Amino acid sequence: MSYVIAIPLLPAIAFAVLGPLSNRARNKAVWVSVAAVASALVLSLIAFVQVWPGGHEGEAAYHASVTFASIGSVYLGVGVLLDSVSAVMLVVVTLVATAVMVYSLGYMHRDARIGWYYAVLSLFTAAMLMLVVSDNFLQLYMAWEVMGLCSYLLIGFWHEQVAPRKASLKAFLTTRVGDVGFAIGLAVMYATAGSFDFAVVLHDFQWAPATATAVALLLLFGAMGKSAQVPLHVWLPDAMAGPTPASALIHAATMVAAGVFLVARALPIFEASGIALTITMVIGVVTALLGGLLAAVQHDIKKVLAYSTISQLGYMFVALGAGGLVAGFYHLVTHAFFKSLLFLGAGVIIHAAHTQDMREMGGLAKKMPVTTVTFTIGSLALAGIFPFSGFWSKDEILTVLWHGEHYIVFALALAAAFVTAVYVARLWFRVFTGPEQTSELKEAHIEMLVPMGVLAAISAVIGFGSPYFAQFLGHEGQWPDAAIALTSTAVAGLGLALGWWVYGRRTRVINTRPLKQRFAVVYDALSLKLYFDLTYDYFIVKQFSRLAGALATFDRVVVDGIVNGAGAVWRAGAEVGSLLDIHVIDGAVNGTATIVKAAGARVRRLQVGRIQAYQGLMVGALVLLMLWFVVKGA
Amino acid sequence: MTLLQPVGALSFMTLAAVLFSLGLYGALSRKSTVMVLMSLELMANAININLVALSRFSAPAEMTGQIFAVFSMVVSAAEIGLGLALVLALYRQRKTVEVDAMQELKG
Repeated sequence: MSYVIAIPLLPAIAFAVLGPLSNRARNKAVWVSVAAVASALVLSLIAFVQVWPGGHEGEAAYHASVTFASIGSVYLGVGVLLDSVSAVMLVVVTLVATAVMVYSLGYMHRDARIGWYYAVLSLFTAAMLMLVVSDNFLQLYMAWEVMGLCSYLLIGFWHEQVAPRKASLKAFLTTRVGDVGFAIGLAVMYATAGSFDFAVVLHDFQWAPATATAVALLLLFGAMGKSAQVPLHVWLPDAMAGPTPASALIHAATMVAAGVFLVARALPIFEASGIALTITMVIGVVTALLGGLLAAVQHDIKKVLAYSTISQLGYMFVALGAGGLVAGFYHLVTHAFFKSLLFLGAGVIIHAAHTQDMREMGGLAKKMPVTTVTFTIGSLALAGIFPFSGFWSKDEILTVLWHGEHYIVFALALAAAFVTAVYVARLWFRVFTGPEQTSELKEAHIEMLVPMGVLAAISAVIGFGSPYFAQFLGHEGQWPDAAIALTSTAVAGLGLALGWWVYGRRTRVINTRPLKQRFAVVYDALSLKLYFDLTYDYFIVKQFSRLAGALATFDRVVVDGIVNGAGAVWRAGAEVGSLLDIHVIDGAVNGTATIVKAAGARVRRLQVGRIQAYQGLMVGALVLLMLWFVVKGA
Repeated sequence: MTLLQPVGALSFMTLAAVLFSLGLYGALSRKSTVMVLMSLELMANAININLVALSRFSAPAEMTGQIFAVFSMVVSAAEIGLGLALVLALYRQRKTVEVDAMQELKG
C-alpha cells in the first residue's frame, strides 16, 4: 500500500511544477493542480476502501517511516500512517480540495494570477494531506506550519488592497501565538516521553497527570490558534478577505479543522490529564455560543459563515472535551462538506450580486435555482435539520454530552444550536427571498455548479452513515437517541421560526432598526464583536506600536547617529588623506618630473652641435684633470 | 751664459709644447676644415719631436723613438690624404668646407 505516500506527494509535485514557471505559463497550466488533486482523490478512495471495514482503533493499516535527520542520538523521522482516522480525513480533504479546484476554474478564471493561486492551493493540499498521514507530532507540526504559510498567502492573495494585506498579517500572527504554545508543548512532550511518535507518545508511554496536563494544554493552545477558538478566533472573520473558494477549502473545511484533528489524535494525553478535557470542553462551548451570537449580527455574508465556522469548530471541541472522539470527528467530516458547500454558494452569490452585504441582496431564489437548492441543503445541514448531515453529527455530540452528564454544557450547546438556526434563517431569508435589489442576476458557470451539486448530495445523505462511521473508527455505532434528536430538532425549528418571523415574513426590504434599538446594549456589544478586537487592539497592537515607535526613535537617534557619526569621521579622515595625496605624494612625483625637465633644459644648451665647442670642452676638462693630478701630486 | 750651450731635452720638449699648443689653438679656432687638418698635423709633429728627443736622451742606442716617429709620419701622410679626400667630397656635396656648417648630427 505504498501508494499512500503519493497522496500528499502529488499536490506537492504540482506545486513544484507550477512554482518556478512564469506567470503566463502558470496561468495556462492550472490543470496540473486539478489533475494532481483529482489523482490524489482517486488514491484516497482506494486507500479508504482497503481500510474498510476498519474497526480497529489505533491499529494502522499501513505504516512506513524513514529517518530524515539525526541530532546526536536523536532520530527524527517522517512517516506515513494510514489508519481509519487518516483514511477518512484523506477522502474528506481530497474531495473538498478537488471540488474547490474545479469550482475555482470558474470563479477565478478572470484573475491575472490564477496560476499562482492554484500553486499555493496545491501546496496547501499537500501540507494538509501530509498532516493527516503523519505518524509523529513533529511531522504534523511541520505540515501545520506550511498550511499557516499557505493560509497567509491566500488571505493576502489580492495584496493590492489594504484589507487582505492586513487580514493576512493578522491571521498569521494570531495563529502564530497558538503555534508557539504548540512548539513548547512538543518540547515538553519530547523531554517527558522522549519521542514524537504517535505509537510511543499515545500508547506505550504512561503519562503522569501533571505533565499530561501541561502537554495537553499547550497542544490545545496551538489547536485554538489554528481552529479559531475563543480568544484566538479574531483572525478568521478577517481572513474572509481572501478568495472565496480558498476560504471554503482552508478556512472552513480543512485547515481550521486541523486543530480538531490534532486534539483528536492527542486525545489519549488529554484523557490522561482529565482537567485538560474539561478545559477543552469549556473553551469549545464558549466558542460555539459566542461564534453563533456574533454570526447573527454580521452583514457580510462571508463573515456570517466565518463566525458560523468558529461556532461549529467550538462544537467539535466540546465533543472532544466530553471524550466523544467519534462525535467530534464526525462533526468535522460533515461540517467540512456542508460548510465548504455554503462557502462555494456564497461565492456564486457574491459574483451574481456584486456585493457581500446581505442587506443589498434579495430575491435570488427566482433567478438562481441550482444555487438556491444546494445552498438550502447546506443551510439546513448547518442548522441541524433532519435528514441532513449536520443533524446527525450535532445530535451525536449532544448525546455524548447528555450521557456524560455534562448538563450545563448540554444546555449551552442547545442554545448554540438555537442561535445557529436563527442566523441560518436570517442569512437564507435575507439572500433568497424578498425583493430583488440587483438586476442581471445570472446562474453561475457549470464548473462552479457541479462541485456544489456533489457537495450538496454528500451533505444530504452522509448522515445516514453515522453508525457505520463509528464502527469504522472502532467504536460502538448506534442511531441517535430519539428524545435528544427530538429536542434538538425542536430547538433548531424554533430558531428557524424566529428567523422567519423577523426576516422572512415581509416582501419589502427589511428594516431592523426598531429591533436594534430595543436591544441596544446587546446589539452594540455584538456588533463590536464583543470587544475582542478592540481589547487586542488596545492592549497588544497599540502597545506594540508604541514600542515599535520608541524603538524606531532609538534606531534613528542612537543607532543611525553612531553609524552616521562613524561615516562622518571616516569621511573627514579620507579628506585629510586626499589632501596629503594631492600635495605631498603628487607633489613629490610631479616635482621630480619638473626638476628633471628643468635640468634637461639647462643641459640642453651645452649640446650646440659645433665640433669645436665640444673639443674646447674636452680640452678644458683635460686641463682641469691634469691640474687636479698636479695639485694632488699624483 | 753663452748661446752655444749644448741643446738639452727641456728645449726640445718646450718646442714640442709650443708647437702642440699652436696646433690645438688652430684646431679649436679655425673655420676652414683644411686649416683644422693642418693644425692637426702641427700637433702630430709636436708629438714626433717629443718621441725623437726623448729617445735620443734616454736610450740612444736602440733608436726606438726615431723608428716610431717614422711610422707616425707615414700614418700621418696616409691620414691627411684621406682627410683631404673627405674635405673634397664634402665640398662637392655642400659647396663649403666650414666646420660650423656641419651640425646635422647634434641631438
